Amino acid sequence: MFRKVFVLWSILIGFTIFISIQSYTQDAPEVSAKGKEVYEHSCAHCHGIEGRGDGSAAENLLPKPRDFTRGLYKIRSTESGELPTDQDLFDIITDGMPGSSMPGWESQLKADERWEVVSYIKTFYDGFKERETPPREISLEGKIAYSAESAQIGKTLYTDLGCIECHGNVGRGDGTSAPTLTDAWNDRTWPANLAENWNFRGGTDTEDIFKRFIGGIAGSPMPAFEGDSFLHFGLSSEESKRLSEMENKDEMTPEEEEESGKLYEKMDEAVLVALDRAEGTELTPEAQKIYDDAMKVVAEKSWHLANYVKSLSPEKRPETAIGNNSLRSQYTVEELPIIEDEAWNTLEDSYYPLVGQVVIEPRQFNPTIDSVRVKSFYNDTEVAFLFTWHDRTHNIEVEENEDTGTSYEDGIAIQFPVKPPKGPTDEKPYFLWGGKKPVYVWQWKASEQDKITELTVKGVNNVTVQENQGDLNVKGEYKDGEYRLWVKRALTTDDKKDLQLEPGVFVPIAFSAWDGANGDKDIKRVMSSWYSFVLEPVPSSRRFIYPPIVALLSVGFLIGLRGFVQRRNSASDEAETEQ
Amino acid sequence: MKRISLFTICFVIFIACWVFLQFVIGGVISKPIPNSVIGMYMALVLVAILVHVSVEDSRFKEFLRPVYETLVDDRYRVRRLVLVIVIPLLLTGFSYTNLAQKTPPPGDPRDAHPTPPLELKYKDEVIETMQKAQNPYRHYEKDDPETFRSHVENGKKVYYDNCFYCHGDHLDGQGHFAHGLQPLPANFQDPGIIPNFQEAYFFWRISKGGPGLPASGTPWNTAMPVWEDHLTQEEIWDVILFLSDYTGYKYRTFGEGH
Repeated sequence: MFRKVFVLWSILIGFTIFISIQSYTQDAPEVSAKGKEVYEHSCAHCHGIEGRGDGSAAENLLPKPRDFTRGLYKIRSTESGELPTDQDLFDIITDGMPGSSMPGWESQLKADERWEVVSYIKTFYDGFKERETPPREISLEGKIAYSAESAQIGKTLYTDLGCIECHGNVGRGDGTSAPTLTDAWNDRTWPANLAENWNFRGGTDTEDIFKRFIGGIAGSPMPAFEGDSFLHFGLSSEESKRLSEMENKDEMTPEEEEESGKLYEKMDEAVLVALDRAEGTELTPEAQKIYDDAMKVVAEKSWHLANYVKSLSPEKRPETAIGNNSLRSQYTVEELPIIEDEAWNTLEDSYYPLVGQVVIEPRQFNPTIDSVRVKSFYNDTEVAFLFTWHDRTHNIEVEENEDTGTSYEDGIAIQFPVKPPKGPTDEKPYFLWGGKKPVYVWQWKASEQDKITELTVKGVNNVTVQENQGDLNVKGEYKDGEYRLWVKRALTTDDKKDLQLEPGVFVPIAFSAWDGANGDKDIKRVMSSWYSFVLEPVPSSRRFIYPPIVALLSVGFLIGLRGFVQRRNSASDEAETEQ
Repeated sequence: MKRISLFTICFVIFIACWVFLQFVIGGVISKPIPNSVIGMYMALVLVAILVHVSVEDSRFKEFLRPVYETLVDDRYRVRRLVLVIVIPLLLTGFSYTNLAQKTPPPGDPRDAHPTPPLELKYKDEVIETMQKAQNPYRHYEKDDPETFRSHVENGKKVYYDNCFYCHGDHLDGQGHFAHGLQPLPANFQDPGIIPNFQEAYFFWRISKGGPGLPASGTPWNTAMPVWEDHLTQEEIWDVILFLSDYTGYKYRTFGEGH
């Protein structure tokens, strides 16, 4: 009896596991009319009826919607040169691609509809049909868990492998090649800003980053590490280190010439094996060993590098500085800190996301500046702000370029109403450069980094440079893909066209920014709607007076209550004894 | 076993009610409830408990007994000492946090459904009174489905050229620019949006945008542009057709009760 039950249970559990594995990684179903219908309803306006990535909305988008006819897929769990698995396609449809206009479809399409779409998308590229064996998936074996040491090794690799060429010294996507990159369709593409992982298209886990290294990002300039000689593919870590040492010398001795020659031969051999393997040739046991050894080193380096990249960004996009997160300028009795001062590090950043200006022509549909962050101190007479924002390129003049088009000057503008609203129902000026109600603007341009122009603006075509300039102390700088702008001003000025500041009063603030290399100029820009900030008043000293009084009163009350009850009890006792 | 006193029962019920409101309803089931609302409910609970215990004299005495005992009985000296320290400490902490609070940011008393003007206008041209204005292409839905489809298709194109950056690929107000806007763009998948308004109302909100909102609806902060500067009347009516066609919701028409 017991055995029977046991067997039944085992079958049941086995079946459940089978089902759950089935639903975990799955192959797409046969192509169906349903897939076509869903595709044409939900996908075609961007990706095109024929899957060429040329739907009517595609014109204004960058990155462009994927062209499914070339079999190039950025986000894969498969090795370099392989097509994605069905599960990869399904996951992208489900989760979307952050930082692009591709949303996740989990809320809109049922799982079986998403699977039908996977099947349908595959019909656009014959390679899927011709594929005989399942694609080779990237092995995640030998994962190196995050540690400061591993990230440090990764940091060295980051420089040695040349990642800085595109991604910049500290990873803000500001490398020297950044402005020149195009993808397989000849569309402009920007290297990822590794400090803003919420825009990573394929996920932020160390595993996700690792897969991008091993498999590359197909169609983009991001190379795959497998079989690539810049990684010294085929050499052990020691050999690779030795080769770099020798290569960095001005002149090699004859012995070193010979030694490095041997190492080059070893690398060539390994690269050839990798090529054979990619072409589907059966490897001899010796060749297999060469390949396995080489890949082991590549994987190890990639894990360290992935740990370093992971360390460059906050876990997720910071909370927007609105409501209780609003910017609060910190009071200090001392002189306000200058731009280099360490005191700024004691404050938290207030984060303001910026988006493209799509209201007035020419519009900016594809912004490259993610956000601006602000910190502020004030004292009895002055206020100081520190604005920071990421921009991959430092543009200080108009430049013509045949390949990438004209680039303009970078800049930022900080916008306030001339008069703070009197109450929550008092109307603010129009968020985009004011209107009937004027706005007071600090305009800063990258070519004159220690100067701000004060403007009074009543709409895009009504910009007046204020007669009274020079109330502001300004210092700007650009380094490693980041602008920092420091502004100091008196709380109150004599100019009626200026905003006057007072502690405890919330004041609306909005931003515009220009990345010249992205074609931003004048009204074409990135911007925010209104937020608000306050010079946080010095906390009331009453907080040290009232609480002790409350404590004394409550103790007194409790003692009094006890006395009252005691007296009443003894009174009623007496009354009882009298009875 | 010692009987649990009435006071303890009431105390436990009171705390349980608070936990239920704060964490079960306000966390597991739905969104957090504002403190003021919880305060109101808790006041009701307190009144209910007090009514219950004071209905009979004996019950009230039974209820107060542990309080008296704690206050005077020699057996409860330790409990008394603990309470005389804990209660003032709590009150002191409470008054300190209240006084040390940061300046609250300005509230947002925005009117979600502003009152439309009496006349529907495109630029300066009066189209019709707001009540009578109809989508001139709506009748094709019955009369000429093919023409109707072409208008919907055109509306879809208009939507993806202009609207979807903010209002989203799913028409749910979650476009890839939405995170930078406050208030959030309208969510057309919300059952409270399309079915509550006439097509003319949508035409008004699209054509006049944020700057066209009435003074009574201030302070509008919406970044909704004035689309009559960029779109033709036909394009606006077409995109209105597309919104209901895609979501499956029907606009409100006159003749239905309010």
